Amino acid sequence: MESNRSFLTQLQILTKRLLLRVIRRPLAELPNIFISAFFLFVYDGALGGVFGGSAQGTPFDFANGNFVNFILPVSIVSASVSGGASGIYLVEDIESGVFKRYQSMPISKWAIILAPMLVGALRVLLQAGLIMVIGKIIGADPAVGAVGYFMVLSIAFLWGMGFAGYSVAAGVRSGSSQGAQAASFLFFPALFLAPTFVPREALRGWLATASAYNPTTYVIESMRAIMVDGWITDVISKGYIAAGSFAAITLTFAVISAGKATEKA
Amino acid sequence: MLAVDVKNIKKTFTSKQDTVEAVKDVSFQVEQGEIFGLLGPNGAGKSTTILMLTTLLSITKGSASILGIDVETQDKQVREKIGVALQDTGIDNLLTGKELFFTTCRLWGYNKSDSEKRTKELLELVGLTEAADRRVKTYSGGMKRRLDLGLSLVHSPEILFLDEPTTGLDPGSRRVLWDEIKRLRDTGVTVILTTQYLEEADELADRIAIIDEGLVVAEGTSDELKASIGGDVITFSFETEGDITKAQQLLTDSVQEKMELRITVEDGASKIPGYLKELTSAGIEVSSVAASKPTLDDVFLEVTGYRLEGADDAVEETPASTRGRGR
Ligand SMILES: Nc1ncnc2c1ncn2[C@@H]1O[C@H](COP(=O)(O)OP(=O)(O)OP(=O)(O)O)[C@@H](O)[C@H]1O
Ligand SMILES: [Mg+2]
Repeated sequence: MESNRSFLTQLQILTKRLLLRVIRRPLAELPNIFISAFFLFVYDGALGGVFGGSAQGTPFDFANGNFVNFILPVSIVSASVSGGASGIYLVEDIESGVFKRYQSMPISKWAIILAPMLVGALRVLLQAGLIMVIGKIIGADPAVGAVGYFMVLSIAFLWGMGFAGYSVAAGVRSGSSQGAQAASFLFFPALFLAPTFVPREALRGWLATASAYNPTTYVIESMRAIMVDGWITDVISKGYIAAGSFAAITLTFAVISAGKATEKA
Repeated sequence: MLAVDVKNIKKTFTSKQDTVEAVKDVSFQVEQGEIFGLLGPNGAGKSTTILMLTTLLSITKGSASILGIDVETQDKQVREKIGVALQDTGIDNLLTGKELFFTTCRLWGYNKSDSEKRTKELLELVGLTEAADRRVKTYSGGMKRRLDLGLSLVHSPEILFLDEPTTGLDPGSRRVLWDEIKRLRDTGVTVILTTQYLEEADELADRIAIIDEGLVVAEGTSDELKASIGGDVITFSFETEGDITKAQQLLTDSVQEKMELRITVEDGASKIPGYLKELTSAGIEVSSVAASKPTLDDVFLEVTGYRLEGADDAVEETPASTRGRGR
């Protein structure tokens, strides 16, 4: 029996179980997908006419004639917040006592903690991927070519893992699903204290300052470079660095918190 | 080898506000193949004891071993040997019974086809085959307890810990679980269970430890415990408070309970006429009198100084600590 009990097998079984739970609650997936798609349609509908093709030759032509390319990153970033579900999954298991049952079995505690993070990651990829498909249907076309989709998705993935880590840490520290849910509250100011609708050059005063310190800014700018402008490597790499650091910090924090929370009292 | 050997374990919870001595000093030994019952009221320290023995809580002081394996230092090896069903059942409501068994089998290391086989066996064993494909959310309390028991049996553990396996169940469902637990014992499994029901301890456990306020206050087989009281219990019932008060002055060793007085004496039946004569000549009206062998209830009263109430109406879930005595 021992041989079947490797860390990876356990992780796979626990991940499968969580996926079953996700499938059993399909409605829980809808709000975030809906909000993200809503951003895409509403902003394109409201602003696409002004800043899209008709802006060509004017100073407002920052979308390079395709406003969907310009606004799609905002929707993708919004979709990647779905990684915050990781903490909720974990805390649900702590609250229901399932976590304790697993602890009484010879299962690696890291498999128990990593499984919800994996499911969070999968959720990010699926939601961001879906938004991307919608974007393509309504006219998105990355300036760097088709590889741009994968690049944007990979940044979204890192960004989403950042939220996963944050929610797991918040969840195990507060021991409640509300604590884990707080991860998504962080998202709203972060998304709007950024060059959400216009380039950073067009922001003024305190918002310009705030956005300079907001990692979301660099994530959006880097996705925009990929979609709108082409290979501007320093802008693109800043997005990877911002998202990667956010993920590294929160995941470290998550591992430390989860380790502490699962120590024997 | 002893199945379970517990030596003077203690558990203190310390938080910023205060410290709680949940378990003060608990020792007991369990032989392989027996059902051992930890009987005690709410807050006695039963769950804390179980959590320590199942490696889920650290032991503040003292030591415990399972089949000779030390619980504190070799917790991984201990987990291989034990099956655990905790008081707050950790059951995933969104999955079906079958999925839960299958997942648990896989986690214990069975491959897919063995997991399927074992799932079928266990569903049969705990009588959930019919409900196997329903989500656990739709199960009744009794079904959830049986599921919980089944899940703790996946890896055929030698030692089984059950924390209040029948609390809140109706008498019929309790009996079903009792029969299952006895059947397991008969196949060689050692069972350590906690209960707040006298009847359950009496009926099910081969040996009993009575635990109160974090201490073991008595231990033995049900018969040994009853014999330890010595003699029979004579119960006198009265109609009026006045009669009780007067009778108490005559029966100085008696314990009052509602409109009854009880005394414990050798050879009770032969002494009843003498007592009755004494009481009636003092003008006291006795409405009924009976002699009986002591029950576990009497033992409990003797060793703790109060009764474990709610014991005989198992259906309603009564926190004993809110009744009778303050803590
Ligand atoms: N984590 C904890 N922190 C502080 N006190 C605790 C903790 N766990 C239990 N206690 C306290 O320890 C005492 C014993 O609790 P325990 O749960 O072991 O009792 P029990 O016999 O299982 O009761 P019940 O029949 O209600 O399940 C109680 O007073 C309880 O409040
Ligand atoms: Mg308990």
